[in-house]
Amino acid sequence: MDLIYDFLAQVQASSSVLARWDVVLALLVGSVGGVLIGAIPGVGPAVAIAILLPATFSMDPIVGLTVLLGIYGSSMYGGSIPAILINTPGTAVNALTTYDGYPMTTRGEARRALSLAYSSSFFGGIFSVVCLIFFAPILAKIAPMFGSREIFLAALLGIILVVTAHRKHTLIAAAMACFGIWLNTIGLHPASYSKRYTFDQSWLSGGVNLIVVVLGLFALSQAFTLLHGDDEKVRLTKLKGSFFQGFRELARHPRIAGISATFGVVMGMIPGVGEFTAQFMSYTYAQKSSKRPEDFGHGSSEGLIAAETANNAVPGAAMVPLLALGIPGEALTAMMLSVFYVHNVIPGPQLFQNDMDFVVALYLALLILNVLVVAFLLVATNQLIKVVKIPNRFLGVCILILSFVGVYSLRNSLTDCIIAAGFGIFGFIMKRMQLPVVPIVLGMVLGGIMEVKLRSAMARVKTPLDFIDRPIAAILFGMIVLVLLLHFRRVWLDYKERKTDEWQTSHASTSFPAILSRRRNYILTERGKTLRAKRKTFSRRLTGKD
Amino acid sequence: MSDEITEHPDRPQRGQVLFAALFLICATLLLAAIEDQTKWLKGKDFFAQPRFWPAIGVGGMVVFTALHFWHLPRKPRLLPRWMREADWFQWAESLSWAVLAIGLALWLGPIAAAPFVFLVAIIRVTWLYQHWTDRREAKIWASVFEWAGWFLAYVLLVPLIGYLPVTIAFSLILTWRVGYRSRLMMWSAGIFAVLVVLIFKSFLQVKIPGATIYEYLPGALRSFFILNF
Repeated sequence: MDLIYDFLAQVQASSSVLARWDVVLALLVGSVGGVLIGAIPGVGPAVAIAILLPATFSMDPIVGLTVLLGIYGSSMYGGSIPAILINTPGTAVNALTTYDGYPMTTRGEARRALSLAYSSSFFGGIFSVVCLIFFAPILAKIAPMFGSREIFLAALLGIILVVTAHRKHTLIAAAMACFGIWLNTIGLHPASYSKRYTFDQSWLSGGVNLIVVVLGLFALSQAFTLLHGDDEKVRLTKLKGSFFQGFRELARHPRIAGISATFGVVMGMIPGVGEFTAQFMSYTYAQKSSKRPEDFGHGSSEGLIAAETANNAVPGAAMVPLLALGIPGEALTAMMLSVFYVHNVIPGPQLFQNDMDFVVALYLALLILNVLVVAFLLVATNQLIKVVKIPNRFLGVCILILSFVGVYSLRNSLTDCIIAAGFGIFGFIMKRMQLPVVPIVLGMVLGGIMEVKLRSAMARVKTPLDFIDRPIAAILFGMIVLVLLLHFRRVWLDYKERKTDEWQTSHASTSFPAILSRRRNYILTERGKTLRAKRKTFSRRLTGKD
Repeated sequence: MSDEITEHPDRPQRGQVLFAALFLICATLLLAAIEDQTKWLKGKDFFAQPRFWPAIGVGGMVVFTALHFWHLPRKPRLLPRWMREADWFQWAESLSWAVLAIGLALWLGPIAAAPFVFLVAIIRVTWLYQHWTDRREAKIWASVFEWAGWFLAYVLLVPLIGYLPVTIAFSLILTWRVGYRSRLMMWSAGIFAVLVVLIFKSFLQVKIPGATIYEYLPGALRSFFILNF
């Protein structure tokens, strides 16, 4: 009880942090801007956050983070609009929404689908923030138990999870994570002041800036992709009536909504896992426990609830490893980390101990944000859907112009712009081949954390076992081993499945060369048999008596 | 947000071999340069060595990309008929790569030559397995340099001519270039450019320097333009 009373006092103290005109404005801009950005397919929160990042450096940390958090938290609401209406997810995490949302639109239930998506997203968002507000005092007690070695192991776990989460792309994801680690090492080594991979170039001595890389990989590459692509013809469905019915329908599925939100919170808290795993698990659970599993993928309201609730429960939870340990679990929180560093606010156990008001204020901001977004969507959806019609290549021009603000305002450096353009081209190539770029960003951020923490942790370690002699370190080490074992088991099972498929389909081929090849093999085998039979007649079989 | 996890489980094959080979070549060259580009300090702990993390990064790039390259579905390149039929050509081709590798090993010594011999092997495999779709894909990659060029021209002109005029001009010209010629689109492009400048430079006071050309403006107008546009 004491914990709750303490915490309520903290909420009261934190609300004063939010009661400022600039924070209120940031909340409004973040929520409305996030919905707009989410609703435009091809932009997404990563592009918007990357562009706005340098602009937030001149703001107070709480104001800057509120804008970014607003975009992060509300873009998924907006992303469900094109996913449901035109079968194109506004943000990547809305891909699962198209499975059940679009079929509902095709049978004339677009308003129902949108309303259900809004209410589910709202429930997921509020659920995660409420959970975290009540967990915050416990987190504040656990976070100081994390020393250098625990943070190193948590960062390592994060990298391993990010890599293994890219199923079927694990090897290239690992290579990209290592690329990120290497990029972070360029420049002066902080402990010995020796140069690393600078090739005697003065512009490389300061290292490669994370924001420049992020802007190149996310914003510029997206601009190039849009400029290179074609426009899509969009036909919108007219929506009439209110969007409140979804809340009633959601209330009829409390189990699916609750469990999906829980999956979102738990998966969001684990670095490197994120929305996709949460969605996948909640969708699978909803399908397995449904009375009508055959409807999933064909316009099932339960499927829509599971997908939207899970993905909106993640942003709040994803702030936990960032704030409590200083470890970002994904690209967007990695970008937010730079805002902390610019303002000399170091996220980690000390933040929870010394500046709890700030942490709770962020959660309250997220709570208010969800309310603002739903209120905005309930009244403005009909006008908002028109943004879907903005032509792709024009969007590319807009992103290119906005990217300039992001890169150039950082240090007014032409070199930064050239590096960003280089990463933009690299990101474009990666996008064309559907290879993962997120591990690069996480490799850069987590690589830096691991380097510093391992160095300080090893100073007190004499034998390898000393590294995991504390309970949290041992648990984290156990988790790393478990994740790796599960991954290798899955690789082995996939391999076996592939081989079985190959074996089963090997005789089904009807191609002419395959027929010829089988015929040749048959003739050769038969001829071999004949020859062996002939030889047998000339040579007596050996017996034990000989 | 890991955008790519669930998207397109069957990735397009075009360009994969080429990309993996190019990435592997760069990683191998970086690995070969590790001794020159990083230091190993005497008396320092193993984990605190300046070379430790670059080695993890570059080593991981080489190992994982090589494994990825190895696992890629590859189809042998269809060589021209005369090449396929001429036994001497195939002998000469294999032999020339071997001579190159052995020559490198003799010239640099076996250990120093190892990364370069590996490079030779990568180039040979890429030559044997690249396809016409890879070459077409490479042309598409090259075409993006045009947009990067536009962006860099914009960056170069802003400090000279000014953020507002260059942004308006860039927005209009690029909109024209990508094929939107209607009055509506041109107006939209112009209004968008003005809004961007007003929001970021005038309102948020983002750090973009005043242009050289603004220096020629009279008195108060000069400082007004430098501060706001």
